[in-house]
Amino acid sequence: MVTEQTKNQKSENTEKSDKKQTAGVYVYGIVPADVEPGDDATGVADGKVDVVTDGDIGALVSAMSVDRPLGKPEDLRAHANVLDGTSRVAPVLPLRFGAVLTDTDAVKEELLSAHADEFAAALEQLEGKAQYVVKGRYVEQAILQEILDENEQAAQMRDEIRDKSEDAGRQARMALGELVNNAIAGKREEDTRKTVEALGDLTDSVNRREPTHEEEAVQVAVLADVDRQDQLEEAVGKLAEEWNGRVEIKLLGPMAAYDFVVTQNPAGQG
Amino acid sequence: MTTAGGPSSSSLADVIDTILDKGLVIDAYVRVSLVGIELLTIDARIVVASVDTYLRFAEAANRLAIGSEPKGLSDLVSGGTEKIAKSKTKSAIEEKLGGLLGGQEEPERERVSRKSTRGDR
Repeated sequence: MVTEQTKNQKSENTEKSDKKQTAGVYVYGIVPADVEPGDDATGVADGKVDVVTDGDIGALVSAMSVDRPLGKPEDLRAHANVLDGTSRVAPVLPLRFGAVLTDTDAVKEELLSAHADEFAAALEQLEGKAQYVVKGRYVEQAILQEILDENEQAAQMRDEIRDKSEDAGRQARMALGELVNNAIAGKREEDTRKTVEALGDLTDSVNRREPTHEEEAVQVAVLADVDRQDQLEEAVGKLAEEWNGRVEIKLLGPMAAYDFVVTQNPAGQG
Repeated sequence: MTTAGGPSSSSLADVIDTILDKGLVIDAYVRVSLVGIELLTIDARIVVASVDTYLRFAEAANRLAIGSEPKGLSDLVSGGTEKIAKSKTKSAIEEKLGGLLGGQEEPERERVSRKSTRGDR
């Protein structure tokens, strides 16, 4: 009798309050309810990607064991692949990497049902659009030569360190390096401006990202009509031609609108 | 050209730049049923001007002047456009991740091998 009671209690509690819970639901993002993941869609931790719906909206999810740490390269890629693949065919609101809930009921009630209007409105705004990223990196020799040609002071400082050992010329090297670094920052600003200008009316939402490499020439995320991707490719292709040998530029996308979804209730951030 | 075959595929560094610190924050929507998952430490990449960077730039500028034979030029020209689609550059974090986690990405730092492609223009 006693044993049975304990047993019942335990099984009732397993789902929600058991501290040793081992199963969780990884959530990728929010989509319209009619989105269907492909049969072979594989997500984080090799989970099969599924959709949990509530009314008109749904969430892309996959089951995973919560005692497995996340963050390996393949985890990051899986998260991006699921969302970016979806962004080609439907609007999607991406969640930040690493969102795991206890079960599908929690996804349905706490996430979807509780924020239905907000999500539906955001999805509507993304209809027909996807994010693209233009990323450019300076070709080191070309950009250094350009700086030395343009900047007399830099050229002079370079001549000064020529015959000195690394130790003896350390101060001079530091000064030259700082000058070069600042010159690159100035060029980055100008080339970012040119890039945004070159994209013209293909986008009205631009996020100029902070540089993630010291020789970065440009990194901007834009929201654009998927229908006009060929025009975007053309515009970036022209830049690539113009900057051939000076900047290695690439266009990434279509991808989910990571840079353009905003959390309206920032209280939970941190 | 860059875009002849459509957009380039994302490198791991591209993915990191995009998904780590962007997107909706789940905590703002759900609190009760959040599961704390151990996240391997990956920081979003940021550029901090450092002594190392300065010294590296200075050395690169110094080397630029010495290489006066036009040997490297053909490399530069032929490599120019093809390299765009398939960027060879790898970030520090990618290197770290690769080493740490045994990822397939081959750790490689282009700046280290610059010597061999020294040009004179």
